[in-house]
Amino acid sequence: MGGYGDVQLLRENGLRLDGRKVDEMREVEIEAGILPAADGSAWVKHGLNIAVCAVYGPMEAHPRKIQRQDRAVIDVRYNMAPFSTSDRIRPGFNRRSREISKVTAEALESVVLVERFPRSKIRVEIEILAAEAGTRCVGLTAAAVALADAGIPMRDLIVGVASGKIEDTVVLDLDKAEDNFGQADLPMGILPTTGEIAFLQMDGDLSVDEYNTCMEYNLKAAKEIHVLQIDALRRRYLEKNGGEA
Amino acid sequence: MVELVPSLLRQELEALAANDQRIDGRGRWDSRDIVLETDCLYNAEGSAKVTWGDTVIYAGVKFEVRTPWPDRPAEGSLMCGAELRPIAGRKYEPGPPSPESIELGRVVDRGIRESGCIDMASLCIIPGEKVLGVMIDIHVLSDKGNIFDACALGAIAALRTATVPAERFDIGEDYPLALSMTPTMCSFTRVGGRYVLDANDEEELGGDERIHITLGDEGHLHSLQKGLKGTFTPAEFDEILGVAQQRCVELADLVHSKEA
Repeated sequence: MGGYGDVQLLRENGLRLDGRKVDEMREVEIEAGILPAADGSAWVKHGLNIAVCAVYGPMEAHPRKIQRQDRAVIDVRYNMAPFSTSDRIRPGFNRRSREISKVTAEALESVVLVERFPRSKIRVEIEILAAEAGTRCVGLTAAAVALADAGIPMRDLIVGVASGKIEDTVVLDLDKAEDNFGQADLPMGILPTTGEIAFLQMDGDLSVDEYNTCMEYNLKAAKEIHVLQIDALRRRYLEKNGGEA
Repeated sequence: MVELVPSLLRQELEALAANDQRIDGRGRWDSRDIVLETDCLYNAEGSAKVTWGDTVIYAGVKFEVRTPWPDRPAEGSLMCGAELRPIAGRKYEPGPPSPESIELGRVVDRGIRESGCIDMASLCIIPGEKVLGVMIDIHVLSDKGNIFDACALGAIAALRTATVPAERFDIGEDYPLALSMTPTMCSFTRVGGRYVLDANDEEELGGDERIHITLGDEGHLHSLQKGLKGTFTPAEFDEILGVAQQRCVELADLVHSKEA
């Protein structure tokens, strides 16, 4: 039998350990506007992951040295709660969360019309409350909804999705076991209407063909999640304005 | 970010207080509505979400195996920390833990610890070598006033629904953490010159000092704290203690209603 190390990740009937098909993603739920203190917010449950995102601003960029004369800066903080994983993690910023925050900010800067708000700052706070592989993608999906909920103009939403490889098979949306024992992981931030990519990371081993399959799966999943994002925003808008869904 | 206190807000709060009214229409000893959810976070051994008016907090309990403190070789340990992360509101900024978040965590910690609700000796695995540490982490996600009471409620609810993951530590089968009591906190803020229960964010902004009272099941005091600038008289304290004694029973009942 195939399998990577001692762990068998694909069953003989071709299904994965949690019963999904190779191109099937975990269940996703999205709610917009769940944090009253924030200007915009979102809650995303993706499989067993839970991410909450709040957006504050645009506001004065402080300290002044971070100001840009021609655009807003986007200040992202991705953070995992101490109770979000099976072993408690020490609170505070580490190298991993710093890197994820940086690339997430850069992805969001490519969709937000930052040139509309010179010298200002938009704060995006992503808190991971439960982590089960793929949190950076879930955070990105939540951030896009929270920005839209805050009324910040954007070219498009962003959807965070990942594909990867287990037992030499390309699969969509790795869960924790697949992430730990799999061979590759390709998280992406996709602009669902244009198909452009604003966020890209990868580790592991993928052939060009395998990459192309990943890409195809990611695009397909991005379209599905996009529908949920729009639906969450529409529900939020109707709720705010007293309309009916 | 420093928040400005508009003198108009203070004047308005004073005028309302003179007519025994509050800015959101509540009575002086009325609390906002509370929604308590437990077992809401997959990876935490005990968890709670508290939606207290517009204030939202999460509490999560984790356990770890550690070496005991040298002076208490046969006792486990408890740690309770609160994170006032920048997600909680406009005025919160990143950086090392602020004095406010340290005070919050420590006041909640004292209420639970000093009530003696956790039998520390029961957390001992091998005296002098291995004990269980109970870690409660509280995340404030939306601060719209009175985060202290919300955090204390979330912490005790998460503890009372927590499971000790003994199998993971190879020390037997998983079992529920035993608590002998349900300490709960009641906070009062001076707004417009008199104390009110459960101040919202505007009342905190335009108000003065606050008092936090944690009571156990028997109605005994387990932790007290006065925060911010201001003084109070013994008569004022007697009055709010009476309110707290009623209110804490209701809060404990709310926690018990979530237990299996």
